[in-house]
Amino acid sequence: MMKYCDKCKIKINTNNKYCPLCQQVLEGENTKGLIEKYPEYVSVNRKIYPLTKKVIMFATILSIIILLVINLATLDENPELWSLIPIGSIFYFWIVISFGVLSRENIAFRLVILTFLLIALLILIDELSYVASEVNYLGRWSYDYLMPFLLASCNLAISSIILIKRIDYRDYIIYLLTIVFLSLAPIILVFLDIIVVNWPAMVAFGLAIFILLFIIFFFPKSIKDEIKKRFHA
Amino acid sequence: MNKESSYDTWFRLDNSGKIFPEVSNHRETNVFRVAVTLTEKVDKDLLQLALDAILSRYPMFKVKLKKGMFWSYFDYNSRPFVVEELKHYVCGEINPRKNNGYLFRVMYRNTDVIIEMFHSLADGAGVIMLLKAIIFEYLVLTGKDIKPDNLVPTKYERPSMEEYEDANSKFYDRKNKKHIPEKRAYRIKGTPLSEDLTGLISGTISTKKMLEIARAKDLTVTEYLTALMMYTIYVTQIQYRGHIKSNQAPVKIFVPVNLRKHFPSNTLRNFSNFVKTNMVMAKDDISFEEIITLVKEQFEKGMTKTELIRKMSENVAFEKNVFLRFTPYFLKKYALKIGYNMLGMKLNTMSLTNIGKIDFPESMQPYIYDVTAGVYSGKFNTLNCSIMSYQDRFKITFTRSIVETKIEREFFRHFTNLGVEVEIESNYVEEY
Repeated sequence: MMKYCDKCKIKINTNNKYCPLCQQVLEGENTKGLIEKYPEYVSVNRKIYPLTKKVIMFATILSIIILLVINLATLDENPELWSLIPIGSIFYFWIVISFGVLSRENIAFRLVILTFLLIALLILIDELSYVASEVNYLGRWSYDYLMPFLLASCNLAISSIILIKRIDYRDYIIYLLTIVFLSLAPIILVFLDIIVVNWPAMVAFGLAIFILLFIIFFFPKSIKDEIKKRFHA
Repeated sequence: MNKESSYDTWFRLDNSGKIFPEVSNHRETNVFRVAVTLTEKVDKDLLQLALDAILSRYPMFKVKLKKGMFWSYFDYNSRPFVVEELKHYVCGEINPRKNNGYLFRVMYRNTDVIIEMFHSLADGAGVIMLLKAIIFEYLVLTGKDIKPDNLVPTKYERPSMEEYEDANSKFYDRKNKKHIPEKRAYRIKGTPLSEDLTGLISGTISTKKMLEIARAKDLTVTEYLTALMMYTIYVTQIQYRGHIKSNQAPVKIFVPVNLRKHFPSNTLRNFSNFVKTNMVMAKDDISFEEIITLVKEQFEKGMTKTELIRKMSENVAFEKNVFLRFTPYFLKKYALKIGYNMLGMKLNTMSLTNIGKIDFPESMQPYIYDVTAGVYSGKFNTLNCSIMSYQDRFKITFTRSIVETKIEREFFRHFTNLGVEVEIESNYVEEY
């Protein structure tokens, strides 16, 4: 049985009490077993941050402030901004957790971004902790060893993902290309004399060239398609 | 050339589709829905099977949105599509991350099958084709003896390139693309509903009666309803309040036009434009007749081929602009967003979409009860209206983001006063 609103003169098939148009009480009996046309509203629970997250967040912000205050207060004795090292590491920790672990972005994209940020962080640490007078090693460990090795391992990681997850490899190819091109950076730094120890840069470069040639020879169409897609204007 | 769905499949966004990914969010979702009520309870598993079969026939919908250097694009989606049970949301945001990357949803409840589609992917006409195909396949799976009669695409047909074309750019006329600046439209004000809820009220009347009423005034159904909508807005919101500044802005009803009816194209993607009524209503004595004359005139003017091509070319010219084209995507995003916020949204009071009559082959008709359409309503367009009809059930659906239902009430009372029976459906959002 349909219900009826005497005021609006409309019929409605519902077990609700009121007319949706004028909010008057509807005439008529409830129908047994009637399934309402539209489902009832269920409130979306507001996301409450778990306590652990709150505690870590609180500790993070507190430590950043304390570090900055101590650093600035002792600036006369030690004119270095050493607090940037722990602060940078704390930020990196948060990025690893929220972007690296918890986000649902493409895994290759996450790897590229995390590698890039890690290199930036390590260069920062190296710069801040560099003491010129120390022994006769003139280079920087971050440029000489870490950058090439990190790029090479990222290269290897994404290549292995592609080898393992054959089905969707097209989704990853653009990131592999990005990191392959980034791996050419150490070789440029060798020529600019910023890198002193050459062999790690050579290894990274060799690996990048190997992967690049491998894609070009064995997946030429995917590369072409991917570039066409990504760069259409 | 025919193309099977595969990993090589990818599509550019069509001209109108390009703007939506940048300007959509949980409030302005740019989602619309089309629903079919069957005569029997929907079986979830069979619906899922029907969908799997149909999606391989329609590679255009089996996609995810990806970002490129200059534009985003649709890329083949290898993940499975899952049908869901209808929730209380009406045209809520489609979050690809929670939806396996897909930009549309298929839902079921009791006897209803509902498709909600993100506007980038297709317009009403495209979704109707998809819906028909799904329903046909579903009914076949439930063991019904039905025939497509060339009205419904089946899974046995192969997709044609014509379905993917961006028809807007095919009719682009470089000499006829003048931009005509517009004034900001009147906005229907009200108390916002909480939590991005959308209220839905639909009224069903007899198609025959509706046609009679419109014909009596020598109008098409869309023209009649648009005029009635303007009159209702006038009576409930503006009359005797014309001295208030915000009421002096013109009331503009945005009425989408299916361009497939005016230009030869069978595309499934966006190929629609609009006509707009425009009237400053800050007077105390505007009659319904007066509005009818004006609406008729404005519809005639807006529907001429030159005017439709001008509006189409205006958009395409924007996309073809060399500077914009070669701006990297992450910057272009902001340009589009700012442009749309300044111009797009605020130029309409509301939208009134007439998807029209939907035809099913005779053998399918006993299994279909009626159809419903709906569009999202947001912060500026607080009330929208969509219309769809099947046989003698002419259904007018209002979706609103405000609590007040005054306009709906007066709108339907107009019909009951004429002695037409109106049957209402509501999602009772005001009860919460």
